[in-house]
Amino acid sequence: MDTNTVIKDSLNETPFAIVVVANLLKWVLLIGYLSIALFPMLWLGVSSFKTNFEIETSPFALPAVWQFQNYVSAISVSGLHQFFFNSIIVAAIATSFNLLVTSMGSFVIAREKFAMRKTLFTIITAGVLIPIVSFMVPYYTLITRLGIYDTLLALIITYAAINIPISTFLISSFMTSIPKELEDSAEIDGCSFVQRYWNIIMPLSRPGLVTAGTFSFIYCWNEFIYALLLTSSRSARTVQLAIRFFTSQFRTDYAGMFAAIVLTMIPTIAVYIFFHDKIISGLTAGAVKG
Amino acid sequence: MRTQLFKNNKNKVWIVLFLLPVGLLITAFFVYPIVFLIILSFMEWNGIQPMSFVGLRNFTDIFANSVFQTSIKNNLIWAFSAAFLQIPLALLLALVLTRAPRGWRFFRTAYFLPNVISLVALAMMWSALYNPEFGLVNYLLEVVGLGHLGRNWLGEINTALPALIFSYQIYVGYFMVIILAGTLSIPKEFYEAAVIDGASVLQQEIYITLPAIRGIVVTAGTLAVAFALRQFETTFLMTAGGPANQTPVLGLFMYRRMAGLQYGRAAATGVLLIVLGIVVLSGLQRVFGKSDAVADSQQ
Repeated sequence: MDTNTVIKDSLNETPFAIVVVANLLKWVLLIGYLSIALFPMLWLGVSSFKTNFEIETSPFALPAVWQFQNYVSAISVSGLHQFFFNSIIVAAIATSFNLLVTSMGSFVIAREKFAMRKTLFTIITAGVLIPIVSFMVPYYTLITRLGIYDTLLALIITYAAINIPISTFLISSFMTSIPKELEDSAEIDGCSFVQRYWNIIMPLSRPGLVTAGTFSFIYCWNEFIYALLLTSSRSARTVQLAIRFFTSQFRTDYAGMFAAIVLTMIPTIAVYIFFHDKIISGLTAGAVKG
Repeated sequence: MRTQLFKNNKNKVWIVLFLLPVGLLITAFFVYPIVFLIILSFMEWNGIQPMSFVGLRNFTDIFANSVFQTSIKNNLIWAFSAAFLQIPLALLLALVLTRAPRGWRFFRTAYFLPNVISLVALAMMWSALYNPEFGLVNYLLEVVGLGHLGRNWLGEINTALPALIFSYQIYVGYFMVIILAGTLSIPKEFYEAAVIDGASVLQQEIYITLPAIRGIVVTAGTLAVAFALRQFETTFLMTAGGPANQTPVLGLFMYRRMAGLQYGRAAATGVLLIVLGIVVLSGLQRVFGKSDAVADSQQ
């Protein structure tokens, strides 16, 4: 926009050769990094439609015939549908539970006045900086003592809890920005505490809830360490754990394995396509919040 | 006055009730683990028999372990690569995209995409790319006439760790988005005034952009280093610490102690991982100044 024309004006004053070289470097950087960030995934996607022979002999070419049956065999060999079901259950329930719990807490922190309010907010959100990986032993003993080792419930509670700091940060900063007048008039109309939370503040906080929910869903879908540590049987296996077994299941059927990996990526890519504005605004809120 | 008091009392009960679930979960999954980890790091425990106090022996034992020494060295290399590879690259990309080249929104969206895909899936993908038989990396080298450089990247002592760290550079987009939020919020008038004064693009970046986003770059750097220090999946899945125990990190060392039922040593490693994070991050803040987001979240 304005900056652009201004910058172009300033470029006009610098020698032509420098402008050309600077422009060239700019595009080399932009496209060079694009190929590091995206090309591997594109290669994986295209390879998943090839025959195994094509993968080994011509890794760059497009498939001669697009082998859609790779995907059929990927599901039948890996039993992926079962683990998809587990992952969806875990991600959906953990995210809903997380949003309910953090929205209640955030509502109180953002809209009520009491002594320990700021301290509480600091304690909860400080969890973002803790390396959760270091809690392997405590989480393992906690979950076994609760008697829920090797169940989906173990993962649901753990994931919902791990996401509390980030969700609280996103939701409470959103709730703080809602004007007080709306609540005041609702209170005069006889709204109770719970009604204020559920009927007034929650609907108005939808954008914040969606952002937090998106972050939580992606985390739950992708989580690996605690799925590895807190479950052991097939019945509680999530998609990310299932990927580990691909190398032994598919052996030399790389095309089938690639197809299975692509399938595991689809849910979060779909979420990203629909909600990428929310994700970017969520990160931005965390970074430049005044 | 009476109604005011009554209302407050009624809300007090609700406030406590609404905070209870968050409080319980934070206590169980953040406060208790830290306390338990610290206590357990002074104990010997195999998970079955009662714990016994052993003082600092867990710490002296793991410090004497050569795999632990390699792990802590590797953790520092990962942190270093985050601060001096990922962040400069993220900064450079953000500076270019701020000047809104054609399709900048597409680049922003595309650069961030790898961050929403699981580390496990991407680790499998990179293992295939580095595969010595059909992998794309060796094939590309052959195409450009450098076929003699082709090797088993993840299987050789000298290349395994650099190959892992290279694969991690696809996450730069995360930090770029954060830095971009800072650069896009700088008022345009600053640049207009600079142009009138005859400042070149380079001068504008050095004298306007960089000072304005210093805090946010430190924020991005803090996150990058924190993420790099807790890195586990990439190493676990791509090399499992090999070849010849050259690539382990503290997370992996801890996992192995746990698998060997040495819970006390695993806990001691966990404590050291947290301490290392605090030391490295506060060191970074001392050298590069205060970070914005951390300051904000502690308001």
